Amino acid sequence: MTIIHPVQTVAALDDSSVIFAVIKNVILGYKREDSGSYKLIGKWVDEFDRTESIKNKVTKEQDRQINENAKKQKDNEGNVIVQKKKTEAKIPVPGPGAPPVYSCIRNLLISKDGSKLLSCADSDKSVLVFDIDLNNDTNCLQLVKRQPFPKRPNSITISDDGKTVVMADKFGDVYSIPTDGEPLKDINDELDPILGHVSMLTDVLFKTDSHGKKFIITSDRDEHIKVSHFPQSFIVDKWLFGHSQFVSSICSPQWKSEWLFSAGGDDFVYLWDWELGKKLSEFKYSDMIKPYLTDKHLAPSRFQNESNDIIEYAVSKIISFTDIPYVAFFVEATKILFIAKVDVENKKIYESTTLELPYNIISLDNAYNNEIVLSLDNRDSNGKDFIKFVKYNQQDGSFELNEKRSNELDACINELKSDSDITVEEGNIYPLYSTTTLRKHGEHYS
Amino acid sequence: MRAASGNMDPNSKRFIYRVNKEENRKELKHVKIDESSVIKSDISTKKNKKNKMELPKKKYYRQRAHSNPFSDHQLEYPSCPEDMDWSKLYPAFKDENSGEMTKEVTIADIGCGFGGLMIDLSPAFPQQLILGMEIRVQVTNYVEDRIIALRSNHAKEQTYQNINVLRGNAMKFLPNFFHKAQLSKMFFCFPDPHFKQRKHKARIVTNTLLSEYAYVLKEGGIIYTITDVEDLHNWMVKHLTEHPLFERLSKEWEANDKCVEIMTNATEEGKKVARKQGSKFVACFKRLPNPEII
Repeated sequence: MTIIHPVQTVAALDDSSVIFAVIKNVILGYKREDSGSYKLIGKWVDEFDRTESIKNKVTKEQDRQINENAKKQKDNEGNVIVQKKKTEAKIPVPGPGAPPVYSCIRNLLISKDGSKLLSCADSDKSVLVFDIDLNNDTNCLQLVKRQPFPKRPNSITISDDGKTVVMADKFGDVYSIPTDGEPLKDINDELDPILGHVSMLTDVLFKTDSHGKKFIITSDRDEHIKVSHFPQSFIVDKWLFGHSQFVSSICSPQWKSEWLFSAGGDDFVYLWDWELGKKLSEFKYSDMIKPYLTDKHLAPSRFQNESNDIIEYAVSKIISFTDIPYVAFFVEATKILFIAKVDVENKKIYESTTLELPYNIISLDNAYNNEIVLSLDNRDSNGKDFIKFVKYNQQDGSFELNEKRSNELDACINELKSDSDITVEEGNIYPLYSTTTLRKHGEHYS
Repeated sequence: MRAASGNMDPNSKRFIYRVNKEENRKELKHVKIDESSVIKSDISTKKNKKNKMELPKKKYYRQRAHSNPFSDHQLEYPSCPEDMDWSKLYPAFKDENSGEMTKEVTIADIGCGFGGLMIDLSPAFPQQLILGMEIRVQVTNYVEDRIIALRSNHAKEQTYQNINVLRGNAMKFLPNFFHKAQLSKMFFCFPDPHFKQRKHKARIVTNTLLSEYAYVLKEGGIIYTITDVEDLHNWMVKHLTEHPLFERLSKEWEANDKCVEIMTNATEEGKKVARKQGSKFVACFKRLPNPEII
């Protein structure tokens, strides 16, 4: 059976009046009408064909090798003759049994003023910059820049003025590019990373401190959170030490700008004062999540023990509510959304409520008006529960699902159920759970 | 016994040697070696009439020359500099009454190899703690055994107490060991050249790593580099020169600096290059003060 693929990433503009959703290699834009129903106002498909870029790469490498290994002979006059053999470069194709290549889109980020949408395409490892034009109902998304990078972008952030994108890649390097202007052709020769870790980067944030100085905060899978100056990114300000496992997600609340929340493979969510470089407190969530862990959380067999009971889990994403002192996070491959209340006075997370969703949570983003939006692994739902809205109830201080709005959006997404861009054969789902693979197992002994 | 055994034949000479040394190392690694301890627990007296502990033999510690700095190695490192127990490495510099260290490490030899540089630096800087960092297990074992033997053999004079070695990945975890501006000198001697262009990020000097070295170095601190690969030399000079926090020191300065002299002649690689009459390229850089933050 063909189904609409679950939404991999979701982002909300304002009070979720506009929703952007990634399905496979497609970005969809939905706008809420006054009637409450949603309308599709934008669609962008990544149609990048990899074969040409692979061919260029292979040809380039072939040329390099030919130049390096060329037989140098001298003719009778003593002149050096370089002999080169040249054949058409072959494009490598994955052999039988090779894992399938998915051309995902990851990350969605809306600029502060709501005029730009940023994203990353796996196909050519590029950062995508779109202009959002809400008056253009036929397609609100206009691709204005596509900048390929040498390594896969893992996380992006944008400066407050919307002019600079900072991208952290899989190889540990951080690049800064302007949101406008022509993309660079060969980024390796034209642009140096502005800072880097010798570790896969997992998240990056732009921040301004209480003196108005700008910083970039980066997190990696070697437990590190690094604070560097910007644009003088060659000056490392500090590290925030305390994680004992990889860091997967960091966020800094609007209501307390010098604070930073971080989470990952640890049993704790940490709260830092990143300006002072101090850990303020930690919040243990592991006991609360354990009842909800399943076989999916067993460690991979080669790291498993004899009784097969090593479990591995990690927080996939942590975000803060925009206006109220709460943070929300979830553990990968669970249905449980944690909403934790922050005691600003005493600098700690002091209680949390959990919300059980119908399916596993895939992504999470904040909207204004004390609202958050999340997407679910709804592959078994028969076209329901793509995206959920959670709203803070000011009267009783509780959090509740806005079912009506979710249903409206589900209905709108379902209109595309015969669109092959976003549908898959059942069982042919893109990888949705990759956070736990960040865990290190110290495989190398020598 | 993982580190000692590997896939080795348990009857081989090398295996037996490594097992013996490992026991010896476990016993003596973190203890303060002085005259009293040498008399008390002298392991070597029976074998050696001169009452000297034999220096380790390099041939039993051979291991492939390269290590991938991006791999997930089985490593031990403190979660932050404050958590590091330095007294285990430099027991002679621990104040018996307060339990605190009287000195902190100020000189680091990144990729110290077989430890030759430290051993010559030790008498030159008796009042500074010198740390070698090395990623290869067997090579680190060798340096540990070498330091144990040197400390035992010089128990009377109490020399070689200011050097030690750590197995670790300096490219990843340097800031876990050293706080801001802790170091006054960093040495990069004959680093792995990583010839292939796509492996250049694995080089120990890159513009992004230099920012981290600048973090642990104090103002006026020195980065010393030496290599026999001209291409790598040019690479290191280029990146250090381009980095806003470093400034190259003159040839004249190099000629008058005792560390340059030691670095050129003391390391195992340096000696090997000299034997083969290869050239050695030296470049030293000073850590500049941070510019005004904009």
